[in-house]
Amino acid sequence: MTTYRLQVNGKSHAVDTDPDTPLLYALRNDLGLNGAKFGCGLGQCGSCTVIMDGKPVMSCLVPVSSVGARAVRTVEGLGNSDTPGVLQQAFIDEQAAQCGYCIAGMIMQATALLEREPNPSDARIRAHMSPNLCRCGTHMRILRAVRRAADRLAAGGKR
Amino acid sequence: MDHTRRRRHIGWWLLLAAIVVLTVVAFAIMWRPALAPQNTIPAFDNARIERGANLAHLGMCASCHTADLSRPFAGGKPMETPFGTVHSTNITPDRDTGIGAWSLDAFTRAMREGVSRDGHLLYPAFPYNHYVRMTQDDIDDLYAYFMTRPAIAAPARDNAMTFPFGFRPLVGFWNVLYLDDAPWRPDPRQSAEWNRGAYLADAVAHCAACHTPRTKLGGPDLKRQLDGGEAEDWYAPALNRHSPSPLPWTREELQAYLRTGMAEDHAVAGGPMQDVVMHLAQADAGDVAALAAWTHGHLSQAPARTTPAQQGGPLPQPAADDPELPRMRLGYELYANSCARCHDVGRAPSSGAALPLQKAIALYDPDPRSLIHIVDSGILPPDGEAGRWMPGFKAILTDEQAGALAAYLRKYGAGQPAWPELDEQVSKARAP
Repeated sequence: MTTYRLQVNGKSHAVDTDPDTPLLYALRNDLGLNGAKFGCGLGQCGSCTVIMDGKPVMSCLVPVSSVGARAVRTVEGLGNSDTPGVLQQAFIDEQAAQCGYCIAGMIMQATALLEREPNPSDARIRAHMSPNLCRCGTHMRILRAVRRAADRLAAGGKR
Repeated sequence: MDHTRRRRHIGWWLLLAAIVVLTVVAFAIMWRPALAPQNTIPAFDNARIERGANLAHLGMCASCHTADLSRPFAGGKPMETPFGTVHSTNITPDRDTGIGAWSLDAFTRAMREGVSRDGHLLYPAFPYNHYVRMTQDDIDDLYAYFMTRPAIAAPARDNAMTFPFGFRPLVGFWNVLYLDDAPWRPDPRQSAEWNRGAYLADAVAHCAACHTPRTKLGGPDLKRQLDGGEAEDWYAPALNRHSPSPLPWTREELQAYLRTGMAEDHAVAGGPMQDVVMHLAQADAGDVAALAAWTHGHLSQAPARTTPAQQGGPLPQPAADDPELPRMRLGYELYANSCARCHDVGRAPSSGAALPLQKAIALYDPDPRSLIHIVDSGILPPDGEAGRWMPGFKAILTDEQAGALAAYLRKYGAGQPAWPELDEQVSKARAP
């Protein structure tokens, strides 16, 4: 067991765990942030996507010992059911979830895109979202939701 | 007195003559005439067009000439070269912006000499130094294919060449050095299939454009044919006895690799080679088999060697007396917690049988660029295509971590001596 300091959603947390623990487990089991999901554990599905230093990463592949001082953000940092973030609201508006298991990862993947490119083309959205899989097949709604959020941001909406 | 004056006169005349001769030679090297535009596009029979389509796949024309899949062959794709950025041109039969006004003679001249219809010299990013050895019949077929594609209006994009390479006539001197117009000759000691492969590899698929190193002038280093070159900052492995492959390739593996990008338990295509495979997958199967036969002929000259690839299994912890122990430990931790999930312990369940890393050819390359690119960007099938999917780790690994992982994999995965200047290579390859 080692103590690691993790910067998550703007707060510093101490986590006692083994160095080879994936960041995903530390987020869920130690910090109670259950948005990111365990899907395949092999970096093949994207349901564990979080943002690390502004970039989307599959947290199942990140050993907690390698995170260091890098800022981690999860879906919990974007908003809650009373005040959802722009992307969360867009996913609600498009009813883009069926079982919902992939959605936290989808939203974080999309967040990373819209923060860097506020008004991406549809092709760009498709390419950027391609690592994230939805087994229910709501991809078309998910793409629409990202489009909607991008349009809202372009029209001056807040993130 | 009279004598010296005469001698001085002769000197001036000689100088003048030399200037005239040099001007004529330079002009002959740098200047080509325009060829008359054609007013109508001739008709072609279907068999010719079909053969042309096959040659276009084998030559991977779309790889450079298609920037946007919805506008095939309309050009506009930027290509970084050491001499500046060149944009591919529109080779659809559009009369004003494409090659609609090009007669077969103009097309042939472009393929063999690298000269545009209007007489300007094309940059050798267009591999006419290979196409020069295509048979006239094949050039005719290719012409038929392009002349029957939908015409798309797309003006050429401006190139951004570094001085003085914006002055195209200079390419004439490159042609003197590197454009060898001797016709292709079969090797009578080899089979018909090998010779077909050799012809396609050289004159059509231009394998050597990436797999042969280039000189400072951007020409092929002819003394080191197929000794390994580069493409888009990836190392393009040697295709001869210098092959870095830790296991010998079989012909069947090569054929599967060229056709699908996958040789089970041997190699997966990454980087620019994925694009090559995408095109070969659509070419005639017999022609790809011939390419495999030829490649195999060359690769099988590599001496057999003992490598960790023959054993497999999980990679070991670094030795306790390793002079770079902290770095190797970091590399091992990253391997064990990120890579091994698919490449070792997790191979069976759902990773699609990722290669055991001892077999990964990139670990045996003479430089680490391909490995860094694979680790950073993963191996993603082209948009909309099915294929093996390895996630990229660029956002996960810091430069220090990526360097440690590469150093560890090189030493404990491949058992090879450390790559020189690894850290510099890592930061260069990862620069945004």
